[in-house]
Amino acid sequence: MNCKEVEEQDIQERYLLDRLTELEREEFEKHYFECGSCFSQLQTGLAVQAELRREPLLSEKVRGASLRRTWVWAPVFATIVVLLSAGIWWYGAQKSRQSQQASSSPAKASPEASMRPQTPALAAPSNQAPSMQELARVEPPPYSAMVLRGGEDEGQESFRKAMRYYVKGDYAQAIPGVRAAVKASPRTPSYNFYLGACYFLTGQTDSAIVSFRKTVSLGDPGYSESAHFYLAKAYLIKSEVSAAEVELRATIRLQGDHEAESRDLLRQLPK
Amino acid sequence: MPSATSAGELRSLAERIRQGDTAAETELVHEFSRRIFVMGVVRTRDREAARDLVQDVLMAVIGALRKGQLQDADKLPAFVHGTARNLINNCLRNASQRPPTEPLPEDLPQTNSIAQLEDAERMRLVHQALERLGQEDRKILWMTLVEGHKPGEIAAVLGLTSEVVRTRKLRAVKKVTELIEKKMSRT
Repeated sequence: MNCKEVEEQDIQERYLLDRLTELEREEFEKHYFECGSCFSQLQTGLAVQAELRREPLLSEKVRGASLRRTWVWAPVFATIVVLLSAGIWWYGAQKSRQSQQASSSPAKASPEASMRPQTPALAAPSNQAPSMQELARVEPPPYSAMVLRGGEDEGQESFRKAMRYYVKGDYAQAIPGVRAAVKASPRTPSYNFYLGACYFLTGQTDSAIVSFRKTVSLGDPGYSESAHFYLAKAYLIKSEVSAAEVELRATIRLQGDHEAESRDLLRQLPK
Repeated sequence: MPSATSAGELRSLAERIRQGDTAAETELVHEFSRRIFVMGVVRTRDREAARDLVQDVLMAVIGALRKGQLQDADKLPAFVHGTARNLINNCLRNASQRPPTEPLPEDLPQTNSIAQLEDAERMRLVHQALERLGQEDRKILWMTLVEGHKPGEIAAVLGLTSEVVRTRKLRAVKKVTELIEKKMSRT
């Protein structure tokens, strides 16, 4: 592999995203172990990737942009199409009924009545404030496997195995193992936090609240902020706005990764 | 493009280490510790584990060089890379498996503290450089390096052509790299 190939085939970027084949990865590593220029760019790329991941505001804005284009507008357009079709059908039906009525009783025909259902039905979606479900929507807390040195205890082993399911998005399957880890080591914040996350992501909101509360009570700064944030989301699912507000304010005070998103959310809460 | 250390210097490095030259060991640490760290971060996705791996790999490499186990001195970078790959794979395969421990000589530089300082400085500069980029260029970088989208996909979202996305992405990376290189070469 040479510098030209690295640039032309986006090798560096694909390496950072773990999208190279085993052979390509091996070749690129061999190359940057000898090439100062490519290694310098790679180091910068890695630092840029890490820095961008730490920027919640940008993440939210960009994710928002992607979502608006890919997901949010699709159902809106679909709704408009359905409503228009319904409106046309309804209008046609009304018209034929009016024409039938006109022949028997013209005084009963009302022009306002024929227009009324269409306008509010189309206008409503764009003016609505976000629903509780929309405010409660959340990304699963990220998890990267720790490489442990020395022997694993029972809890660590259960947790490690369970989190393999978690990273694949199979949260229900992860629950027994994470629960076993909590049982083996009840005061480990990460176990409690991810148990809460698994419950939350499988719709077991009350159990999630218990686990997140336990995480907060353990006082580990690495998990407290996220636990407050997900508690807020759990309360939003239960439509407990005041409790959610308390948790969002607690998240903001800790000035961590969820601060900006919590501020946004706080502004959108129904008064 | 060659590394900062020429091929000839690298060749003599292996020989000097075999002869017991501790200064050569220091040079080897400076030459390869960051490369091993980056490789470790990318493969394990764990910066702490990567820092430990730097130590493990350097210990193994220096141990082998002291015993004259490198047959072809021209292949020192490939030898370091191969050692790093094997130890990282071991770590990933079995978290409890550790390479044979052999204490580093006391006069060997503390790679962790040097690497951490440089890492922190690089992160600070990256933050500054990203601040200077336009919002859309940052979006392009974010969607590329964090979300993993291809230029065509980003183009569809941002209403640009994929060629424009590709050009702007390369330009933004170049801008950030240049700023960092410029500032870090001063320190």
